[in-house]
Amino acid sequence: MIEVNQLAKRYGHVVAVDGLSFTVHPGQVTGFLGPNGAGKSTTMRVILGLDAPSSGRATVNGRPYERLSPPLPEVGALLDAGAVHGGRTAQAHLLAIAASNGIGRRRVAEVLDTVGLADAAGKRVRGFSLGMKQRLGIAAALLGDPGVLMFDEPVNGLDPEGIHWIRGLLKSLAAEGRTVFVSSHLMSEMALTADHLIVIGRGRLIADVPIAEFVRQSSRTDVIVRSPAGGQLAGVLARQGAAVTAETDGRLAVTGLDAAAIGDLAAAHHITVHELTPRHASLEEAFMELTRDSVEYHADVPESTRKAA
Amino acid sequence: MTTVTATMPARARDVLASEWIKLRSVRSTYLVLLLAAAAAVIVGYLVSHADATRWPTMPPAQKAAFDPVSDPFSGLGLAQLAFGALGVLAISSEYTTGLIRTTFAAVPRRRAVLAAKAAVAGIITLLAGELIAFATFFTGQGALSARHLDVTLAHPGALRGVLAAGFYLAVMAWVGLGLGTVIRHTAGAITTMTAVVFLLPTIIHALPSPWDTRIGRFTLDGAAQQMIAHHPDSGYFGAGPSFLIVAAYAAAALAAAAFMITRRDA
Repeated sequence: MIEVNQLAKRYGHVVAVDGLSFTVHPGQVTGFLGPNGAGKSTTMRVILGLDAPSSGRATVNGRPYERLSPPLPEVGALLDAGAVHGGRTAQAHLLAIAASNGIGRRRVAEVLDTVGLADAAGKRVRGFSLGMKQRLGIAAALLGDPGVLMFDEPVNGLDPEGIHWIRGLLKSLAAEGRTVFVSSHLMSEMALTADHLIVIGRGRLIADVPIAEFVRQSSRTDVIVRSPAGGQLAGVLARQGAAVTAETDGRLAVTGLDAAAIGDLAAAHHITVHELTPRHASLEEAFMELTRDSVEYHADVPESTRKAA
Repeated sequence: MTTVTATMPARARDVLASEWIKLRSVRSTYLVLLLAAAAAVIVGYLVSHADATRWPTMPPAQKAAFDPVSDPFSGLGLAQLAFGALGVLAISSEYTTGLIRTTFAAVPRRRAVLAAKAAVAGIITLLAGELIAFATFFTGQGALSARHLDVTLAHPGALRGVLAAGFYLAVMAWVGLGLGTVIRHTAGAITTMTAVVFLLPTIIHALPSPWDTRIGRFTLDGAAQQMIAHHPDSGYFGAGPSFLIVAAYAAAALAAAAFMITRRDA
């Protein structure tokens, strides 16, 4: 279990994490979601005792990280797959990490096998693809057979086969009762892997919900209706239990009734309809909607160009 | 089984084993030591050979000051630089790649990591340094024997001088490790080290007397020369105090590293 309590981290004037609190529970994959620069990596570094928090605290299994001794049998983490010495072989890299926690050579061979790098064990890491480096990083996280696992953007650089593999791995680790905490900036990826979502933006908590609930709330579909007698139609639809909101240029966004039912009702009341369009918001759109105010770098069109256009 | 391992403290032996694997599993370690050995022995031989060749025409003052023990060590500069770079790389390579985060996540007691690096690098460079020092001494004496200027290890101060030269190389690795930890960039740390070891003594040497020696005797290179030499240069400390000054540089660099290593985010 990972607990983050009122965590804040400032770098000079930049606030990376701002009063963040959440708990990551065992037995499920928890997705840690947010736009780039939201503070995901910073939070993970604080959890691992690498960065000192400006205020607040983070604990793993109820203890601050530095009190775990040795830590690897309790927590395994992959922060940056590129954080390897290119001149070292995959095996030597893992042996050095393993030795520091009293973990033996046999376990190194096991994890190399688990991640599918057994054949590349004796090769220098310099020649590895990003996907192979991700696998090596995951092998390092698994060394201590820990109950808590953290992965920062583990699917980056993986090919489709690798992505499929890691989804299965994350799920099976959670099914074994482990705490699995995975960051990503891709909603679609998390929708396929995570059981629970923690969404942050600009270092603040935006959502902490089971994925099923998030999907139900976010992926609701509605129907856009345009009618010269909009007000009358809205009243008719509302009486049938639909939720109606007025959009720009007289259009109505209707939820609770599908397009066919709306058309039938309009016909029954002799109301002319000019447009009837079912609309589906994707999870990705829902996520962007949720975090729109907290994205650090917008691809904004400059004011002058916008006017010209 | 997991609970048993979890309650055991991260033992010093494990951290030492980890750092030992790291040092011996990269080619740069062997390359740097080999380069240092070749440079020390070859340059040492050439210097002694040149001195032996021009011996008949050498002014009497120079002849009187000639020290056959330290003469082959005049070419130790490149080896010093190489040993210093070995120390720098032992930690700067982790900072530049980000591997330091994996290291500190595995061993949260950062000073234990630094101590293990200092111990492993220290033992290896001390062994290699002494080996190089003896090889340099014997090759140099071979060149000097052409004019019967050579001495053996039984010569007063010879064994001490050779051991001191090897020790100086290990000190360079410690100074490098300390600078690498404080500066955290390979190039920056090596540049700083070069400035301290080579540039600073050159500048101080150019100061008007007596300040050249009064300050110069406290420089790393100035003190190291006296530690190796049979007789100290005038104005400098003897071998004993000079040895302490050299050791103090290593201690100061590692103390600064121990101070800084826990104070910054990794």
